[in-house]
Amino acid sequence: SGGGCPRPVMAAMSPPSSSSGGPEPPPPPLQYSLLLQHLVGEQRRPRAWDPTALGGIPSPPKSEEQKMVERAMESCAFKAALACVGGFVLGGAFGVFTAGIDTNVGFDPKDPYRTPTAKEVLKDMGQRGISYAKNFAIVGAMFSCTECVVESYRGKSDWKNSVISGCITGGAIGFRAGLKAGVIGCGGFAAFSAAIDYYLR
Amino acid sequence: MTQACHRKCVPPYYKEAELSKGESVCLDRCVAKYLEVHERMGKKLTELSLQDEELLKRMQQGTGTA
Repeated sequence: SGGGCPRPVMAAMSPPSSSSGGPEPPPPPLQYSLLLQHLVGEQRRPRAWDPTALGGIPSPPKSEEQKMVERAMESCAFKAALACVGGFVLGGAFGVFTAGIDTNVGFDPKDPYRTPTAKEVLKDMGQRGISYAKNFAIVGAMFSCTECVVESYRGKSDWKNSVISGCITGGAIGFRAGLKAGVIGCGGFAAFSAAIDYYLR
Repeated sequence: MTQACHRKCVPPYYKEAELSKGESVCLDRCVAKYLEVHERMGKKLTELSLQDEELLKRMQQGTGTA
């Protein structure tokens, strides 16, 4: 269709327009058929293809299963689950460690002068560890999930993602205790995330 | 397309070789938009060039008979 337009298109179109003007004839209207030839037809300018642009290093195409697995591993849900498990383990370790250096572990309010048995102490340490672990797991999952969502939305990967998601997480946690606590939580957690990010980058 | 999307989505200074999540998302969007724009422009240009051709034919017929 457009490729078969002959050259005299320009010459045929310009005389009618120049006869209407005075000393300066108006420019001839745009020849879309010519433009098409220049863009995708025979007269397009040859481009020097950079061999690295098309993946100069030959590699085998990825199979469907590989692509699916990679997509699953990069998804936000997987990252949140990973952070949840990691947070659980870290929180458990932290809780048990803090219980180990705490003097009040195994304290029996009914009989404060009795030395607690080993079983009571261990049970108390375990409870404390579990409680810390759950908290850390929830916080970690929330932070990772919000960071992934924010990064997917913005399409960029820089320090602002962790600050924004830190503010959201801290705000959500602190909001249960009131608006002011929410704001403080947002600021504190955002600053903490920014510091960690700065250290890691 | 590769150059355009690379310029838009990948910042010039980076520390790791892997594409981050944000960059991959940006590249997906860039490629999809590029292909859609390409398709629409092609359709529009063919439509306009067809109009051009018809006009030219009519003019030639007009000058031929006149």
